[in-house]
Amino acid sequence: MSERPLYLDNAATTAVDPAVIEAMIACLGSGGRFENPSSAHPGGASARRLVEAARERIAERVNASPGDIVFTSGATESNNLAILGAFDADERPNRHFVTTRIEHHSVLDTARALEARGIDLTYLDCDAEGVVTPQQVLDAVTDATVLVSIMHVNNEIGVIQDIEAIAQICATRQVRLHVDAAQSAGKIPLDLGGWGVDLCSLTAHKAHGPKGIGALYVADDVVLTPQLHGGEQERGLRAGTLATHQIVGMGKTFELARPDRDGPRLANLRDRLWKGLERIDGVRLNGCADRAAPHILNVCFPGIDGESLRLALADIAVSAGSACASDIPEPSHVLSSLGLSDALAQSSLRLSVGRFTEPADTERAVERIGTEVARLRTLAAGAPAWCSN
Amino acid sequence: MDYSSEVLRRFDLPPGAGELPDGTRGVVRGEAEDRSLGIWVRFDVRVQEGLIRAVRFRLFGCPHAIAAAGLIAEGLEGQPARSLSCLDLRKVASDLDLPAEKYGKLLRIEDALLACWRALGAARD
Repeated sequence: MSERPLYLDNAATTAVDPAVIEAMIACLGSGGRFENPSSAHPGGASARRLVEAARERIAERVNASPGDIVFTSGATESNNLAILGAFDADERPNRHFVTTRIEHHSVLDTARALEARGIDLTYLDCDAEGVVTPQQVLDAVTDATVLVSIMHVNNEIGVIQDIEAIAQICATRQVRLHVDAAQSAGKIPLDLGGWGVDLCSLTAHKAHGPKGIGALYVADDVVLTPQLHGGEQERGLRAGTLATHQIVGMGKTFELARPDRDGPRLANLRDRLWKGLERIDGVRLNGCADRAAPHILNVCFPGIDGESLRLALADIAVSAGSACASDIPEPSHVLSSLGLSDALAQSSLRLSVGRFTEPADTERAVERIGTEVARLRTLAAGAPAWCSN
Repeated sequence: MDYSSEVLRRFDLPPGAGELPDGTRGVVRGEAEDRSLGIWVRFDVRVQEGLIRAVRFRLFGCPHAIAAAGLIAEGLEGQPARSLSCLDLRKVASDLDLPAEKYGKLLRIEDALLACWRALGAARD
């Protein structure tokens, strides 16, 4: 019997939990709650009740009020709505945006769109472990700052930023704080109300929910300008017919997402991976072991060509330290920000575990990676130092 | 990145990977590198009675370069020594269906074999 495929790319997306699938299917067919939640008839009202129940479940998991949750198509749309919506709602002539160099592209590309409009930008650098300090935020904020946007868990290296302390600084300076928490749900507790976060992007598909559904937490005193037009759904902030099945799926996803239960299990799997891989000569951890999300491990194998490493491990679903959108991969902007050379960034791998990862999977992965690293290093025996730096 | 079946086969089991023992009679060594292209390659070639008897290589680089070095190493064995100086790179590129952006690495592989050819001449002198 062949072994099941090794999937260690849960930071990219996850398999949908069967309980989520079941809840979604119940909203699709003629026997279920397929009706438009905005319709006034009884079927529509039933669908609306399901939507609101999902909203309550999500709000409960992130310590928010249900009314603060605005459904979107995912974290990318949430990031766009939060950032563009905050700037469009602020009519001051000189406006300033603070973010970091290690954000997801959905934030960085939105920042560039603001820059093109003449908005002043400050990009905060991280240190060699991927940490951005609250003091850096304090130093960067000015009287013209409209918004600070900082991700909770970095999607490549898994470093957790101190959002609570950053939120306190933003509150003191009366600046809005947006947090991209796409990687957090189900792994790390989110206390949006307690921390004083103003805006927070959430998604379902990183936590064993469906793709195509997310949410933006909008604190009740935050004013945003909608970016879509054509309906008054979602407090007038996000036009479009509510996708009941997707929303119900996200609600079930967050109901099942239990950081207190899943976090330690995921951390155990991640640690098993690291304990096995750290025996490989020269291997390095990218990120900060003391501030690591439980599900992400990013490691570098000096002396290995990145493209060869990726092909050698093509049977394992992992992410490489490069953006392979083109024929010549560009090194990851996150790893470059840590100070890694292009060669080291290219020879890095992100392994991310999830609910369906088994301990045996980590052992197989360690064995496969160890074998291929040894093979490629033997092939390159005698290579000059630049191949490892 | 797409890889031809020939590249995949030779990447998994590159023929000629390794080295010839130091001090073996008739063995010459040639090396080339290009950091900007991300390739380093070294060939050991054993020549006896004017014929290439064995070729081994070490290489840091991409799968295409590994496959190319293996294909070339395999093809040189049994050929006259002068073959080291007149590789048919177009045929190598065609046999492996190499993308154009990889041709620079082929030139570095050629450089390493030319270094072997020069070392062979120096050994004769």
